[in-house]
Amino acid sequence: MNIIQHVANLLIRSVFHADPASWPWTWLVQAVVIGIAAFLAFAFVAIFAGPVSWIERRIAGRIQSRIGPNRVGPQGVLQWLADGVKCWLKEDLVPAAADRPLFLAAPYLVFTGMFGAFVVLPFGAQVVAADLNVGILYLLAITSLVVVGLLMAGWGSNSKWALFGGVRSAAQLVSYEVPSAFSLLCVVLLAGTLSTQGIVAAQGGWPWDWFIFRNPFMFAAFFLYFTAAIAEGNRTPFDLPEAESEIVAGYNIEYSGMRFLFFLFAEWANIWIMAAISAFAFLGGWQIPGIAPEQIAATKGWEFVGWQALSWTIFLVKATFLVFVVIQIRWTLPRLRVDQLMITCWKYLVPLSMLMVLGVLVLLALVPEGGGADTILRGAMVGLGLAVVLVSALRVRRTFRVDREHYREMEGRDLWYPPYRLP
Amino acid sequence: MTPAEIRERVSAACPGAVEEFQADLLDPVLRLRPDRLREVCRFLRDDPGLRLHYLRLVTGIDRPAAADSETPGGIDVVYHLWSYELRHGCQLRVRLDRANPVVETVSDLWPDANWYERECFDLLGVTFAGHPGLTRLLMPADWVGHPLRKDYARPERYHGLPTSRATVLAEGRAAEVAPAMHDTKAQPIEGYLRLNMGPHHPATHGVINFLLETDGEILKKATPDVGYLHRGIEKLAEQVGYVGTMPYTDRVDYLGAMFTNHGWALAVEKLLGVEVPRRAEFCRVIASELNRIASHLISTGSLAMDLGAFTPFLHWIRERETINDIMERICGARLTYNYLRFGGVSRDIDPETLDKIKHWIDHFEPMMDEFDRLISSNEIFVRRLAGVAVISPADAIAYGLVGPNLRASGVAWDTRRDEPYSIYPEFAFDVVTGRAVHGTLGDAYDRYDCRLREIKESLKILRQAMAAIPEGEARVKVPRPKPAANEVYARVEGPRGECGFYVVSDGTEKPYRARFRTGSFTAMTIIEHLSPGLMLADLVALIGSLDVIAPEIDR
Repeated sequence: MNIIQHVANLLIRSVFHADPASWPWTWLVQAVVIGIAAFLAFAFVAIFAGPVSWIERRIAGRIQSRIGPNRVGPQGVLQWLADGVKCWLKEDLVPAAADRPLFLAAPYLVFTGMFGAFVVLPFGAQVVAADLNVGILYLLAITSLVVVGLLMAGWGSNSKWALFGGVRSAAQLVSYEVPSAFSLLCVVLLAGTLSTQGIVAAQGGWPWDWFIFRNPFMFAAFFLYFTAAIAEGNRTPFDLPEAESEIVAGYNIEYSGMRFLFFLFAEWANIWIMAAISAFAFLGGWQIPGIAPEQIAATKGWEFVGWQALSWTIFLVKATFLVFVVIQIRWTLPRLRVDQLMITCWKYLVPLSMLMVLGVLVLLALVPEGGGADTILRGAMVGLGLAVVLVSALRVRRTFRVDREHYREMEGRDLWYPPYRLP
Repeated sequence: MTPAEIRERVSAACPGAVEEFQADLLDPVLRLRPDRLREVCRFLRDDPGLRLHYLRLVTGIDRPAAADSETPGGIDVVYHLWSYELRHGCQLRVRLDRANPVVETVSDLWPDANWYERECFDLLGVTFAGHPGLTRLLMPADWVGHPLRKDYARPERYHGLPTSRATVLAEGRAAEVAPAMHDTKAQPIEGYLRLNMGPHHPATHGVINFLLETDGEILKKATPDVGYLHRGIEKLAEQVGYVGTMPYTDRVDYLGAMFTNHGWALAVEKLLGVEVPRRAEFCRVIASELNRIASHLISTGSLAMDLGAFTPFLHWIRERETINDIMERICGARLTYNYLRFGGVSRDIDPETLDKIKHWIDHFEPMMDEFDRLISSNEIFVRRLAGVAVISPADAIAYGLVGPNLRASGVAWDTRRDEPYSIYPEFAFDVVTGRAVHGTLGDAYDRYDCRLREIKESLKILRQAMAAIPEGEARVKVPRPKPAANEVYARVEGPRGECGFYVVSDGTEKPYRARFRTGSFTAMTIIEHLSPGLMLADLVALIGSLDVIAPEIDR
């Protein structure tokens, strides 16, 4: 039973004093509750996409040795509100020669595609808008709606540059959906279900219970999925559809005001979605180490709420960490060329992800879960993961030290602009 | 080989072609019969003893008959030739009839003549017979008249727009917006998509338009359409005189204003025979090398930005900011310096500023490593540039590429070392050439690599210059320049390569004709040649790696 039914039943019992199973208006109450839940999810998207834009700009500022927005509110935290209000007040321009219905509808379609994905994201032990039994399939299908929106924007703008952007994004999204779907297929094979909550439930709280450390193929599949997801979200180094130095701004070049903002909105929401999918499919989702989901479900009252909040926090922390990774990649790497983009996908990612599916299948047959070989495999993968983290941390530390020595030397001298430090 | 010896050879090979040899000029000139021009040019280019493969400049001078003189007037078309291999050069000239100036084209011998001849046609009305597409280059397609003719009268209005400031002020506002001034001359090719890349496009580095014929992402052809930033600085020079032109030269190359300043000062000083004090030469070199670094920072940074990496650009902007601060201390300006004077510099560099430069170099050298870590060896960056838009050494010379673009193709030629000016021979520095780090010699990565290494050479020169700077005056008093009738071609090594100033004086306070030879102008001519088969994103990389800036093309 998911949280919406739970809340609806609770309401019916406590307010209407009726039995939800036989009461004739149960569907109405459920519909109202679903409406409220949808509004909350919408508010979450808005409230998340907004601050992410601010966080991204502040991180970009730090990376680029400048300050970033710091005027609106303390340290500029309200910048996104100011931007939103500004875009709201701007004129909504439609080019005279544009295909009006297509042009006007495109941003909503893009946004719907992104927003629809939130429905199946498992935020916590019981917190999911709809635990569909075709969850992963639904995710892949609904995010494909974005392609249609981008193509419509590109075509409807009646601008060649926008058309270039639209066509590029169509080619890119359709191509990269293949490796991302194959990588998620590995997860489905291990979990034995398409339901998002089912996938989380098949993992555990400790790292060695996560799917990413289940076996080498899953480890690789995580990186394949992450790469493909960045490409699907039009993020650097795969931001060809909106490459401002090549095709000016791509599909959104003719848009202004709120319609333009909707595209950016969808982009930032999409970072969150891809991070969330990676987190629940590979990194154990909201699972709390040391306590099984059944135990949480069995608790009552404040204890139940407390566990829910903790599971929610764990999920948010994992997803937000991945959001940071995506932002950092964006501000560090240049952009691929369009043929290199396709080569990366069809020559490397697609065959590799197919190989991962095969590998996972073979290991499923050969290594029974919970056996000695399985334990050794998981231990080795966790070790590998730790090694990866350690090596990158050491590299960062080394680079940081070199620069710090240099900065110390220069500190206080004339005409020396120190790289900006966050307060 | 001296021009006199070249003349001997030409006379021997093509008897009767040379009408006159003007040895009394600063740069001696061979005056040819117009109908023999192509024959002589072909000989000069192909003769194994001459090998003048590089056509430095083609330009024209209008010389109407003086009222009291018997001699008929005419239009001179001037050709500057040079050989990198044999290190010699000569100037050719033909005198054409003013009423019907026609001469045969040399654009099939030296491809960069294509644009030079178009400009000459545009501004002076000289017709080049056999030219593949003789259309206006800088002025609008429907402009009437040729502005550099001495008897040119400016039309009062162009499409209803007043052309003089007085009329605009009198009418209160500009009348109407002119229609599309630059015709899209070429007809679209059947089956290809016509794209206008520019004049306002993030990757064109200024107002340049590229007419693209594309098949999806792949280019069939890219035709540059320039002239959007044409302010007629050469025409202005004829009106404001030698002193007044100095600030205008800043605007020819806004990223390397010190070099255009230097070139202009050098040209006029040669005409006047002025000696510059040693301290002033050091000041010039220090300011120039700082400016070169600043320009290369923008060039390499914006190349990275064109490829989608925003961060390196802003890191370089931070470094350039310090250079701008230093420049402000040196000459009071951050971009358009107007620092040089005939016979010196506008003010001395004080010891405190020298200290600041030293501090900055100390800080900057490790920053180069940081930059390399950030972008130079980035796999995506390398793959976007390596093997893209390869320019062979022969092509580079034939298309008149200069500076880092030429050296990246493996031609080790640096005006500072090979045709020395100022005090550059006193400094030890290397001439960097392309080394095919990741791909083919002369690809886009080599051009990027050359610029980065040139920054290091400039730092070397700066350190030496600051250690050796002598005491003394930074300027000698030069009376208002009024050079005798003569001609000179002075060149400096700018960040975009050879920055040449061809000045014709006539004994007055104003130059009779000035022509600025800039690196970007010739760099643009090779884009059309390289474009077929490139992808759209490669074109962006090509433009960025050639380091083209708009005012240098249009002037």
